[in-house]
Parts: sequence; C-alpha cells; structure tokens
Amino acid sequence: MTGKELVIAAFQHADTPRAPWVPFAGIHAGKLKGYNAQELLTDGEKLVESLREVHRLYVPDGMPIVFDLQLEAEILGCDLMWSENNPPSVTSHPLANQDEMPDKFVEKTDGRVPLILDACRKMKAEFGDKTALYGLFCGPFTLASHLAGTRLFKDMKKNPEYVHKIMDYCTKNALRMIDYYAETGMDIVAPVDPLVSQISPKAFEEYLAGPYSELFKHIREKGLHSSFFVCGNALPNIENMCKTNPDGISIDENIPMATAKEITDRYNLAIGGNIPLTTTMLFGNQQDNMKFVVDMVGSVARKNLIVSPGCDMPYDVPLENVIAVAEAVRDIDKYRELLKNYESAGVGADVELPDYANAVRPYVEAYTLDSASCAACTYMWAVVNDAKDHFGDRIEIAEYKYTTKDGIARSKKLGVANLPSVYINGELAYASVIPNQEEFFRKIESYIK
Amino acid sequence: MAKEEILKRIAKLVAEGDEEEAVQAVKEGFAAGLDPLVILNEGAAKGMDIVSEQYSAGEAYLPELVLSGDTMSAVIEVIFANMSKEQAAASKQGVIVIGQAKGDVHDIGKNVVAALLSVNGFEVHDLGIDVTVKSFYDKAQEVGADIVAISTLLTTSLPYLEDTARYLTDTNTRNKYQLIVGGGPVTPEFAKKIGADGWARNAFDCVELCRKLVAKGNPGAGSTMIVDSEAV
Repeated sequence: MTGKELVIAAFQHADTPRAPWVPFAGIHAGKLKGYNAQELLTDGEKLVESLREVHRLYVPDGMPIVFDLQLEAEILGCDLMWSENNPPSVTSHPLANQDEMPDKFVEKTDGRVPLILDACRKMKAEFGDKTALYGLFCGPFTLASHLAGTRLFKDMKKNPEYVHKIMDYCTKNALRMIDYYAETGMDIVAPVDPLVSQISPKAFEEYLAGPYSELFKHIREKGLHSSFFVCGNALPNIENMCKTNPDGISIDENIPMATAKEITDRYNLAIGGNIPLTTTMLFGNQQDNMKFVVDMVGSVARKNLIVSPGCDMPYDVPLENVIAVAEAVRDIDKYRELLKNYESAGVGADVELPDYANAVRPYVEAYTLDSASCAACTYMWAVVNDAKDHFGDRIEIAEYKYTTKDGIARSKKLGVANLPSVYINGELAYASVIPNQEEFFRKIESYIK
Repeated sequence: MAKEEILKRIAKLVAEGDEEEAVQAVKEGFAAGLDPLVILNEGAAKGMDIVSEQYSAGEAYLPELVLSGDTMSAVIEVIFANMSKEQAAASKQGVIVIGQAKGDVHDIGKNVVAALLSVNGFEVHDLGIDVTVKSFYDKAQEVGADIVAISTLLTTSLPYLEDTARYLTDTNTRNKYQLIVGGGPVTPEFAKKIGADGWARNAFDCVELCRKLVAKGNPGAGSTMIVDSEAV
C-alpha cells in the first residue's frame, strides 16, 4: 500500500498493515531549509521547497501543507505579531466591541490564501499520488476567539445570541476554506480548534455541535475525508467531537491515547496525534521518541490509528527525533526489540574501536537507523559511498545500523547521540544533516595523511 | 436577610459570575453591618472556592473562570473601598509581578492566573505580554515583589524563563524573589531544570503555590515546589 492508501484506509476504518505516519511539520518545515516562520508562511516558493524536504527526510504517509491558525483571522481584520520560530500570534480582536457581523468573508484571493493554495496544487502534482495531503483551517470557535477576544467566553454565559452569531459567521468562513482546499485536491480537510478543550460539554453542545456537524457533512459531500484537531485536555469533549461525525480526530499529549481511543472506537473513528511535543520531541532523544511510539502503538488496537505529533511540531525539534519516529512507525516490533537491546546494560561493553589516532587511512563511518529503510539514513550512507568512489583506497568506510546488536554496541561505545551521523576517525563530523558533498570531501581530505 | 444568608448569597453569585448582583449583595452586606474582611473571607472568597472545586471536578471551564474572576474583581473593589488601611494591609497575601515571557502574546491563561491571585489577596502587577527579562527584574525591584511569575505557551520562549533565573542570580537578587513558571509547554521537569522555586498545574494551583511559597520564604534555595491537583 502507498502511504496515501494507508491514511485513506485509516479514515475509512479499514484494517491496515501498520499505522500510517503523518508528521505535523508546520513551521518546523522551515527549519529544514533554514527559513524562519515568517519566510515560510509568506513565500510560496520557500514553503514548497521546505515541504519537499519534509517529504524527503520524514517519508510521511500523509502531511499538512500549512499549520497556521491565524491565516483567516488576518484576512478578517486581526493584527498579527510575527516571530522567528513560531506561527504568528493575534494581537487585536476587531469584533470585541462590535455586535454585528461583517460582510467580509475569506476569499481565495485574500491575504496569504493564494500562496497556500498554490503550494497545495504543487504538492498535489508532485506527491499527491502516493502521499495523503492535509488542508488545515482554523476551527470556527478558535477563529471566533481571535475575532472577539475574551468577550467570546463571557458572552457564552451573558449573551448567547452573540456567540451563536459569531459562530455562524466563522462557520461560513470555514465552509469557504473547505471549498478552496477541495479545489486543490487535498485528501483530508481538517479544522484545528485548540480552544475546544477550554469549554464544557454543555457549551460544546450548545455552540459547537451544530457548526461542526455542518462542516463535516460538507467535507463528506465534497468526497473528502475529515479530521477534527484539538489541543489540551479535551477528554470531556471527545465524545461530543465524535458525535459531530468527522472521519477522525487528532489529540495532543494531554489525553492518554488508550483512553481517547476507547471512545473513538465506539464511534468507529480514526484517531491520531499524542506524541508529546516538548518533553519527547523537542527535549527528548531518539530513543525517547521511538519508545513513546512503540509504547503508544502497543497500547491500542491498530485499526483506526494514525501516528502523529500532539500538534504542530515546535520549530526546533531535532530532525533526528522525527526520523526516529518515522522509522519506528514502520516496524514497531523490530524497534521494540531494538530498544530492549539498547537498554541492556552490557551491550557495547566488549566492543573494540579501531586505533583511530594511528589509522593509515581515515575511517569514515555512518551510524544509521538502517539505510535500507530510513530515508535520511539512505542519503547519509549515499554520500559516504560517493566519498568512497571519489577517494578510493585512501579511505575506509563502514555503516553501523541500529537494527543490529553490533551496530547498537558500536554506537554506544562511541557515544553516538543522533542517527544518522557520520564520524571520521571516531570524531563526529555530521549529525542528522546530510552534508554538502564538496564540504564533506574537504573535511575528509583534512584527515588523509 | 440574615448575615449568614447574605454571605452565602455573595459566594453563590461570585461562583456564578453574576457581577451586578454580587456587587449589590456586597452592598447589602455593608448595610446589614457586616465587616468588609468578613464579606471578603466568608463570602466572596468562598465563591472562588466553589469555582475551584467545580474546576477540579470538570464542572467549570474557561468561560466560568473568566466570569467569576471578573465578578470577584468588581466585588473586591467595593470591599476594599470600605476597608480601613489597616484591614487592607492585613488582608494582603503578598506582592506578585506577573507577565507573559518575551516573544509570547498568548495571555488568556496568564490573565486568569493574575485575576485569581488578585482576588485571593495578592497585590498583582501584571506586565502583560512579550515581557523582557529586564522588565520583570525592574518591576520586582520597584514594587518589592515576593514572587515573579512568568508564563508562556511557546516552546521558543522557554529560554527566557531560564534567562530570568540567571539574571536574578547575576544581579544577586535570586534570594529576594520566588520565581515561578507555568504555561502549556512548561513542565515540572523544566521548572526544576532552570531552578525555579515553583510550578503549578493550573490557575487555582497557582494560588495555592503562591500562598505556600510566601509562607515558606527562602527564595532561590534550589528546591522547586510543585502544586498539581491533577497528579494521581
């Protein structure tokens, strides 16, 4: 099955040979090509270039084009504050003191919509046959809070009529976004509504149930699949979310996957997300990330499961951590066994490393998860082979795979922290980032006696 | 209406977030001869306790917190206007400088925390959003703060929390201020790592944390107090 088929199968609630992998690389995509958040989200060429890199390195089964909840708000009059490594933030609320809803609606020619739709079309043309593409839009409740500020929360008690009115306005805008994404050939269209976790089930029923049922019905009528993204501890509302009839939902780390899936399984919906963004993806190491995925997938039935980060990945998530997740997803049983080996105290103790200091020829060693399956590892091993072709007998090369006990032992002995990495004579030359060939060859030259 | 009944009514109205009726009930309390401190502690504060319990039980959410916080603020204003200077001073729990870390403008959660601290007797100086490390320091020095509280929702602003701890150390003021941190990506582990004095799960836990830290004293001693009502 292609990645796309896996994702679609999950949304159609069919059995899949493994859980599909959908990394939410929003602003993090920019990091892969050295672009900041503003460059990524305001320049279509840079966006597509970055998305190509996401596709190349993380080998996703599905991927979003953008993860920007301020897109519609900006068009509808909110001021934004841009920052280097975060999506922009809303700093003003144009409807905070206005009871009537504007006539203005999001058009496909407005603001940054054209560049995003163009990116959708380009990604569809390049990867659309094998990778499921997600069009994300700001959920109507969060959009309403952007437009109205904290008034929205107060008026849920004091002025329900206003809340119904603004929800209706935001839903109409959301319906337009669905239409725009549908025209570009997105496979999955998903509202992202983090504030759902901040309201009671009763408030959800009163203000959100109707609009969301309408949105998911509309997505289905377009022949597309839908997912309902939420953040925070939304456990009290998971059941209500299911009742609005999406094809799936996506949760963050605040809810145990097993607990949430017990609910979504009753409604036969797909569920994804849950990998902790900060503690695991940003601050953890590769073993932490693999272990989380292995444990999470092991804690629930595979049907209806999608492996994804809890939300939009932080900009600075180390790419090797995402690569580790991408690998673990593809063979959970193998990586469960490997993690056991890694955790064995004795592994690595009896390995003897070469006498690098007195080596006649430099040892150029690639430490990989497995170049046969991990895309980034394949590229890393390929540049090492290119070096061998170039330098011939003047260098020694070797690959040590994390998928073998010997490889684990060797990497532990050398203290390899990130995979893939290249070491020259036992010294770290490159971690995770595939080196530029010219620079790599120069570095090797410096080791040749 | 009996005094007891008035106090119960004030508590109920604060919990329900009915600002106009709550202020009216406080005025009735004064007319009935109730002491402002009694109205504060036996009436209004009990209302916030009710909301806190409802929040912990999953019966109150952000809209309820915002409304109750606003109501409590309005009630406090009326109560303090009727207090003597001695009473007002005696009811003060401590001085807090609070703000959203540099680079971060998401302030809904921080505003709820600031409101709850304020209505629970703390003198709160809210520096707002996108606050620099030096601004926290300057304000704390200016008002003689007991606590410096920093919140962020952004992982990219996390380094500023650590910078603040370091700045206080570098200026030899780390032992003057209890440094507490919170917000979505701020974990207890992170709080410990940067040497913060405290971390709380939510706004109500933060009130408890601040009370405990002020009572404990000895800021910057190296231990991190964790208040987590959701901990199993």
